[in-house]
Amino acid sequence: MKNGSMRLKALLGVSLTVLLLMGATSCSSGPDGYIGTERARNIHMIVKMNQGDYWNTVRLGAEAAAQEFNVNLTFKAPEAESEIDRQIAMVEDSIKQKADVIILAASSYMGLAQVVDQAAYSRIPVISVDAEVGSARVSSYVGSNGYEAGQKSAQRLIELLDGHGEIGILNFTKSSIGSSLSGGAIDYGARDAEEREEGFLNYAARYPDVEVVQISYTSSSVADAERLTREMLDNHPHLRGIATLNETASQGAGKVIQGLEDQSVKMVAFDSSPTMMEMLQDGTVQATVIQNPFSNGYLAVKYAVELSEGLDVPERVDTGTKLIDLGNMLWPENQKLLFPFVR
Amino acid sequence: MAERNIRFNPLRLRRTQKGRRRRSNKLRSIQLIITVSFTAVTVLVAVIVSFMLYNKFARTAEANADINMQQIIEQVNYNLELYVTGMSKIFATAEAQITESSSIDSPLLSERMDTLMSSREDLVSVSVFTPEGDYVVGTPGLILQQNTQLETQSWFTSAKKSPDISYSAPHVQNLFKGNYPWVVSISKMIVYRKDGRTREGILLLDFNFRTIDELSRQVKLGKRGYAYILDSLGNIVYHPQQQLIYAGLKYENVEPVLEYAYRSYMDDSTGEKRLITVRTLAETGWKIVGVAYHDEIVTTKRDLNQFLFWFLAVVISLVVAVSVLLSWLIASPIRRLERTVKLVGEGDLHTPIEVSGAYEVEQLSLRFNKMLQRIRQLMDQIIYEQETKRKGELEVLQSQINPHFLYNTLNSVIRLAERGKTNDVITMIQSLSKFFRISLSRGKNFITVQEELDHIRHYLVIQGFRFRNKFRYEIKAADEVLQYQTIKLILQPIVENALYHGIEMSPDEGFISITAELQHGNMVIRVTDNGLGMSPETLGSLLKGGVRTGGGSGVGVRNVNERIGLFYGREYGLSFESELEEGTSVTIVFPAIPAEISAEPGEEDA
Repeated sequence: MKNGSMRLKALLGVSLTVLLLMGATSCSSGPDGYIGTERARNIHMIVKMNQGDYWNTVRLGAEAAAQEFNVNLTFKAPEAESEIDRQIAMVEDSIKQKADVIILAASSYMGLAQVVDQAAYSRIPVISVDAEVGSARVSSYVGSNGYEAGQKSAQRLIELLDGHGEIGILNFTKSSIGSSLSGGAIDYGARDAEEREEGFLNYAARYPDVEVVQISYTSSSVADAERLTREMLDNHPHLRGIATLNETASQGAGKVIQGLEDQSVKMVAFDSSPTMMEMLQDGTVQATVIQNPFSNGYLAVKYAVELSEGLDVPERVDTGTKLIDLGNMLWPENQKLLFPFVR
Repeated sequence: MAERNIRFNPLRLRRTQKGRRRRSNKLRSIQLIITVSFTAVTVLVAVIVSFMLYNKFARTAEANADINMQQIIEQVNYNLELYVTGMSKIFATAEAQITESSSIDSPLLSERMDTLMSSREDLVSVSVFTPEGDYVVGTPGLILQQNTQLETQSWFTSAKKSPDISYSAPHVQNLFKGNYPWVVSISKMIVYRKDGRTREGILLLDFNFRTIDELSRQVKLGKRGYAYILDSLGNIVYHPQQQLIYAGLKYENVEPVLEYAYRSYMDDSTGEKRLITVRTLAETGWKIVGVAYHDEIVTTKRDLNQFLFWFLAVVISLVVAVSVLLSWLIASPIRRLERTVKLVGEGDLHTPIEVSGAYEVEQLSLRFNKMLQRIRQLMDQIIYEQETKRKGELEVLQSQINPHFLYNTLNSVIRLAERGKTNDVITMIQSLSKFFRISLSRGKNFITVQEELDHIRHYLVIQGFRFRNKFRYEIKAADEVLQYQTIKLILQPIVENALYHGIEMSPDEGFISITAELQHGNMVIRVTDNGLGMSPETLGSLLKGGVRTGGGSGVGVRNVNERIGLFYGREYGLSFESELEEGTSVTIVFPAIPAEISAEPGEEDA
């Protein structure tokens, strides 16, 4: 009798398994790449500041991805790039609010390191966008290669100057380790600013006739950049070229140069805002190095979603840089990069 | 015996064979057969029905989705056609006003252009250029930028090339200060008048994407499906994710779309199956492309799938449960019956069989019970009969040496001897001797009819002396009956009865007649006397052992009847006819069986 009942059960088991398998194979037909959007994820994006076309475009990209992948996107940024403490506080808030993933564009490479470690300790993955942060716990970096961008800028400016002359650089959030300890605030520079400057200087060093006479660091207001540009022009009357390494600096410097009677100073700017495009078109600015802010924002959110799904994400995603001048600004593929498609 | 041989056979081979047989028997058990076949049939039917339903529903759902999508795209196509017609009408209006105006600089024209601009929200700018690329006139309030490179722009070149209205791909309009809008440009070479002279120029109208966006946004093709618009060269005019496409983050496989004007097909270039529907606008050559995700089209299919899966799972488990229960209900009484019968087979006849369950099984157990009862009865009967037989034989054995009879006979001999009747004494002693010789017959149960008749003759001789010739007797037998066999000492009790109860009390001279003959293969021996006879009551109780012969040989009439019945069957035995004062006739009937030819002749008397 035991034998018989065991056999019966085995038979039932086999038939049920077969049925289940049939069901499973007929039900599981979803594609591999598709990311499930059943549960809304809380993703916090903290960037350097809440103004400027560049960050708006990053935000546009992030929001496009948020809509696509069912994400509750919380977008936070301090008033200015220099408010590192404020940015640290924002990251701490996000940790407290138990964000699923934090996306961070760090205003300071070292300044944000500790709080990123803290996030990792709370098991919240962190993705860097645009500017890296000095923590080994960052899951991924989405942004452009700052060193390469700096080199492109230098190459074009030196071409414009026929390989000789004085050059001034207008950079942002100066890395001043040890110099600003009196202020109490940690004031380490942003990684992207450092990389761009390094790339520029390394390239310029190949030309003995080219001399970088001054490097100024603006906080994050156009007015400040204007003031610094004027100072630079006053200090160095023989200045033939200016390279600006971010959007605010470019806008400030562009305004000053536009106002000059003699437009002999050549300028290579950074990033693309509509005003910058006009300056490019009217000849104030000869070229600009552009990044891919929309892609940065979009990809950062996309990879954040993949991270929260437990998928592997690439460690570095280079969204590329491009040098735009009057000649190529209206090429269809460049139009698409330069002018955000607004309906 | 064969069974026992197998059981005690030490060879292994036999044992495994037995095991295999037992297992295959288990596989053929009623419960398993019912369960498996019932389950198999039901599951098969359920699966087939489900699959048929699934296929039918799925196909209908897919067809419906396809039709639905085509209708939506048709609708968008229609709306867009209206829109494009509207654009060309505005263009025609603008052209007519400019051409008819006496001078391009006139304030009236400027006013009219203003009205035209304000009538349409999606109209960004109206402007006229010379074929050399110089700005003639445009929407008031707009300032032309430097370095526009308009000569290289597509709207300019195509207007110069073809006389028809040309629609450009989406592009950034860099002509005017203030902003860089994304627009679609409509342009054509027209004629205008300036300073009283007719000149040629290019009229440019820029439209933004507001209306196209509104039209296309209404398109809902499932949750994720969408529609986009391509121009004839494959540039994307409108896409719900235009930014992503422009940023190179998304990709739309437009090559197969461009090949056809009117088409529906399956595309899996993005790794997902998508249903693409293409329609083409006649005027602009734009293509409306509807994209629906196949897995959404088949959502109903998947729902159905899931439903059917659970339905099947529930049905199958239910069927399995029911069939197990059912088969158990059917099989368990049978199995219990089988077990009980096995016990009976092993020899325990007193096992009660009380199996309830299905009617058939109950009947079976009832019948079996009855059979068992009958077997038990027969067994009891056999035991009883064996006992009776043994008892009868013992009684016969006793009667062989009956001390009372011997004492009486010897008394008679003494009396004869006293009276000096030597001859009578000799006859008496001779008869007695032969009487005992046949009585004993070496312990045999069967003797020949001849011997039995001799035996009774000697008895009658002896009794003749005792009753002082109060009776006569006669023994008649055909020669052919003498060699048949009979149970020994069956006549003596009857004759004894006749003497003691019939003749002794009778005042008349008694007469006993003994005849033996064959009738229809039976031996029929009849003992008739003319004594007192018996009342019917006595007659009735005779065979039940009510009447005992006092002072007789001790072997009763009943004993004779029993012995004949036991040896030959109940249909044989004694029968009585009697009438008071007339006498009694006893008939003994038993099968005539020839005696075995005995080695000894039986003539040992000297």
